[in-house]
Amino acid sequence: MNISELISKELISLDLQADTKAELINEMVELLDQNGRLSDKDAFEKAVLEREKTYSTGIGMGIAIPHGKSAGVKKASIAFGRKNKGIDFDSLDGKPAKMFFLIAVPEASNDVHLKILSKLSRSLMHEQTRKALMEANEAQDIINILLEEIK
Amino acid sequence: MKFVAITACPTGIAHTYMAAEALELAAKEMSVEIKVETQGSVGAENVLTEQDIAEAKAVIIAADTNVSKERFAGKPVLEVGVQEAIKDAKSVIEKAKTAKVSLQEEVNAIKSERKAQQKGPYKHLMTGVSYMIPFVVAGGIAIALSFAFGIKAFENEGTLAAALMQIGGGSAFALMVPILAGFIAYSIADRPGLVPGMVGGMISGQIGAGFLGGIIAGFIAGYTVDFLKKNIKLPKSMDGLMPVLILPLLSSLIVGLSMIYIIGKPVSALNKGMSNWLTSLSSGNAAILGLVLGLMMAFDMGGPVNKAAYTFAVGLLGSGIQAPMAAVMAAGMTPPLGLALATVIAKNKFTRQEIEAGKAAWALGISFITEGAIPFAAADPIRVIPSIMVGSGITGALSMLFKAKLAVPHGGIFVLPIPNAVTNLGLYFVSIIVGTIVTAIMISVLKKDLETEKEKESEKITA
Repeated sequence: MNISELISKELISLDLQADTKAELINEMVELLDQNGRLSDKDAFEKAVLEREKTYSTGIGMGIAIPHGKSAGVKKASIAFGRKNKGIDFDSLDGKPAKMFFLIAVPEASNDVHLKILSKLSRSLMHEQTRKALMEANEAQDIINILLEEIK
Repeated sequence: MKFVAITACPTGIAHTYMAAEALELAAKEMSVEIKVETQGSVGAENVLTEQDIAEAKAVIIAADTNVSKERFAGKPVLEVGVQEAIKDAKSVIEKAKTAKVSLQEEVNAIKSERKAQQKGPYKHLMTGVSYMIPFVVAGGIAIALSFAFGIKAFENEGTLAAALMQIGGGSAFALMVPILAGFIAYSIADRPGLVPGMVGGMISGQIGAGFLGGIIAGFIAGYTVDFLKKNIKLPKSMDGLMPVLILPLLSSLIVGLSMIYIIGKPVSALNKGMSNWLTSLSSGNAAILGLVLGLMMAFDMGGPVNKAAYTFAVGLLGSGIQAPMAAVMAAGMTPPLGLALATVIAKNKFTRQEIEAGKAAWALGISFITEGAIPFAAADPIRVIPSIMVGSGITGALSMLFKAKLAVPHGGIFVLPIPNAVTNLGLYFVSIIVGTIVTAIMISVLKKDLETEKEKESEKITA
């Protein structure tokens, strides 16, 4: 079991179009939905926005990890998106966010998936991980970096 | 230097772990040791052991959800939002280095946690008691003030003494049992419980079943309403009649009739028997009763055993029996007082934090907040609990022997200046002081010197 069950090349976009937080979440939810990861797109998007209301998931350092737990999720998934220009995500450090992990967790999620997600969260605190993700040119590179980081 | 931390966030998927990682990275950089327990959606991982907590200088809680602090009694705790740990873990650890134990805060936290843990009949009884206490305080003080004009002054109609007695004895005390019963039932069955509970409590007072009868009436009322709510099915159009007509009428009849015809007689006999026994106690038996009440007060410091002794004494106030109340309050004051004194006379047996907490323990002691002893007891239960039990037992026995009486169920030292709130004030003080000293001496004898542990600690810091 590794992170490749949660993410695939199709779930990665290195050139997001969105210019606002809401657009961005919508664009990434769309990405998950098109790849058959969701059963109820609206329910999941609502869960993500609800979570965002508690406080922003823009954790600073250019990273945001919007996430939601919802019955509208078929299987635990991660979508990765990058927008090199950055957008305002109400981040902790007030700076624009450039890399986004949208995490989708079904209501009855299995612990293995949750553990992988917890490792992903931890790895994002490491500067070299962030740097590598920022500099990657191909979707496959992103997956390789994550595979390397999260064993 | 070692720290322990807990991280937790609302969904438990991401922030919990990022905060944990941030703290671990920062600790490494600052070359301090840290162990972080994550309370995420997978459950608690990397769980802190008792030993981890004992070794830690301070506890960091980085959480946006409720994290139980019971494990950390007596430890300095720094609480921050999970975001703060992600954003600037270094300064969080920096702050934790100087975090202090606030005894008052800790005691409040323990009290509310205990309250939240109360369950079932115990919770219902405690709800009733907590609504009743203010009535007893107000009534008790009004009666005491009336007595200040002379024990029989209230018999002269139209005097201030008579008015005070009407307020205290005639009204506040008369409401005591109905309120108790009403809110026991309220706790069980919500609003509809109030009517049969209060009616049953009122009857209990009238037929001499007193406090005991009130407790029984409250429980019968609550469970009766609960039963009726579940089993009476009305057509939708008549639903509105349930709360205003059917539930109050049926439940009041059931409770009232069973109080009058079934429960009343045996309980009032029991009540009278107990009153007679308590008013005619030989000094030996009185001392034993005081001893037992005192031991109970200290045993779990505000827990169910303590509350049983306390509730017993408060209930007796309604029947005009005041000596056990005096013993219970005095015995409830000595555990924090004795510990406070111990931190003064045996400085080398307490950590710097405990000595600091000892200062606050004086204030908690004189306010009759027995819970003030919990952080000390949690840190060293085997030595502290027996010591405070012995001290409280002696205080309770002495208070009974000295025939001290207390008309007010709470307030600690602050109610003592009210004229007639306490009889035998001087000797009552003696009983509290003796228990305090005994507790302090026992603790200082039983507790080991910390010298060795302190040396270890300083070695760690230099290393």
